[in-house]
Amino acid sequence: MKVLIVEDEKTLAYEMETFLKKAFYLCDLAHTVAQGLEKIEINSYDFILLDLGLPDGDGLSLLPKAKKYNPEAAYIILTARGNLEDRITGLDLGADDYLAKPFSLLELQSRMQAIARRKFNVKEEAIPLGEFSIDVQKRLVQYKDQQIELSRKEYDLLSYLFLHKNRVLTRMQLSEHIWGTFADDDYDSNYIDAHIKNIRKKLNSYAPTEWLETVRGVGYRIKN
Amino acid sequence: MPFLVARIASEYTNYSLRDQQKKVINDVHKNGMEYYLQGDDSYGSYTMLKQEYIALEPAASGLHIDTIKTVSRIIEQDTLSYRVLSHTFKIKNKNYLLEIGKTVGSINEYNKPLQRIALYVLMGLIALTIIIDLVFTRVLIRPLGKIIESKLVNRKFPFKDQSEPIKTSTQDFKYLDESLISLMDQINIDFEKEREFTANASHELMTPISILQNKMENLLADDQTTEDVALRIVGMMKTLDRLKKISSSLLFISRIENDQFVKLASVKLVDLLEDINEEISHRLEDKNLMLNINVKNQVILKNVNHDLLFQLFYNLINNAIKYNVEQGSVIITDTFNKQGDYQIFIKDTGIGIASEDIDFIFDRFRKANLAENVGYGLGLSIVKSIALYHNIDIKVASVVKQGSTFTITFPKVMLG
Repeated sequence: MKVLIVEDEKTLAYEMETFLKKAFYLCDLAHTVAQGLEKIEINSYDFILLDLGLPDGDGLSLLPKAKKYNPEAAYIILTARGNLEDRITGLDLGADDYLAKPFSLLELQSRMQAIARRKFNVKEEAIPLGEFSIDVQKRLVQYKDQQIELSRKEYDLLSYLFLHKNRVLTRMQLSEHIWGTFADDDYDSNYIDAHIKNIRKKLNSYAPTEWLETVRGVGYRIKN
Repeated sequence: MPFLVARIASEYTNYSLRDQQKKVINDVHKNGMEYYLQGDDSYGSYTMLKQEYIALEPAASGLHIDTIKTVSRIIEQDTLSYRVLSHTFKIKNKNYLLEIGKTVGSINEYNKPLQRIALYVLMGLIALTIIIDLVFTRVLIRPLGKIIESKLVNRKFPFKDQSEPIKTSTQDFKYLDESLISLMDQINIDFEKEREFTANASHELMTPISILQNKMENLLADDQTTEDVALRIVGMMKTLDRLKKISSSLLFISRIENDQFVKLASVKLVDLLEDINEEISHRLEDKNLMLNINVKNQVILKNVNHDLLFQLFYNLINNAIKYNVEQGSVIITDTFNKQGDYQIFIKDTGIGIASEDIDFIFDRFRKANLAENVGYGLGLSIVKSIALYHNIDIKVASVVKQGSTFTITFPKVMLG
């Protein structure tokens, strides 16, 4: 899928591009409102990641104009300003999502995937996971024909690890995904460990789960 | 009033009697005495109802009378009271006495109607004056009313709506109006400046943190990163996370203190506490704690900010869990106090707070001397800021090694 990153902080834009490229997105960069508009007029994007604090204007002003050229695109607002009004105005102007900086790139990808499923009707079938299969649409894990009972948080954990497979996720990143702003590293780390233990226990009764790895001192990883 | 009217009548009568006297004497000089006497000794003329009479008769030479008196006279068996003018005058060297009389009754007969009319006129004038006064002052004061209506009634801080100057030619009102407009504009400007500042501060603080976080995330996932290096990167990410939390908390407090949150919502406390329970219950498992929400009243708080209230209780309950002991408990109860205010108690069986520390727990970055690094010290500062903003009172009582009880008091006016 094609992504336009409109962000004036070049180092940040670069990191976002690096990450998304690894996840097989095609990326274009723009550093001002003018550049952004230029790109949108010429190309058609699936995703437009829009920073608000741009040097030549408010990112929000780009939205209505961009929508004329690229109405099917999904717009995600990224901002460090922290105003509640920005979020409301943005969503009112037609943005699909809003992420406050600093955000995790993992979280960004997770949101983009959710939007893709919703907006672009990307039909995903059950994907093999070791001897199991995971159906992201229906939010369940199966072994052959049997559905495995996982709590909501357990499923969220597993699917997040799966989305970012072959990548180590720290306990911090995992708990922030599940609890958002109320994540508190001290407590939730233990909880993550307990959850992973539970997931392993539940799945192990059906088949081995060596694809779910513990990386000592760092976190967890699904190897596929 | 009657006295006045009577006096006027009386004075006028005297005047008219004198006037008649002059006329009579003129006529007598013109026509001669014989014309009137006609051989008789005297001349008398009465009106039919005996209300007036004029009498002429000879008088002794040396007699001098010139009076106006009220006397009683008997005329044809009727006793009447007369106002009589008696005057002596000489014609052709003979002295005559002239009497002109008028009944007191006829003098006063106009009194009552006159009085009544005067009274009506007076009342009419009073009413007219009152009406004119009311209309006049209304018209004069109207600009003041307009000023109050357009500038002061229903205005909410920070006075974002544009104020139209009112039309008036009165200098004072114009000045008052302009002053109010300029004051409110100034408040609005300052507020917006503050808001812009915190937005900018937020941007300036959060952007570098954001860059670092994303750089580290990418570094961690890099193929060339060894296990060793990965460990160090995770260490850095933890520290950055700490920085992130402190910065956001400080910005948060700054926004609260600059009144940048609206207080327009109505919140049902029981529901709020249940929501918090859902968010936080997973943390009870670690130490096997019990969280009991025993709130009996279905209290609704009005004119509050939902998210801020959520944060307030969340922080307090989180602390109750954080500083608790193995198999401990957190119990939440409520009551109404004597003044009708609503109170919530959060009681924990935690490590307690030393008496010398209690006064300082709400200060920023103040932490108890603990073995572990528990928290960053801003949780209670946030609680204090939110409480202050909402006019909520917070008190704490604690015994070391036994536990603490936080009492949150909501004033009566907040209850919906």
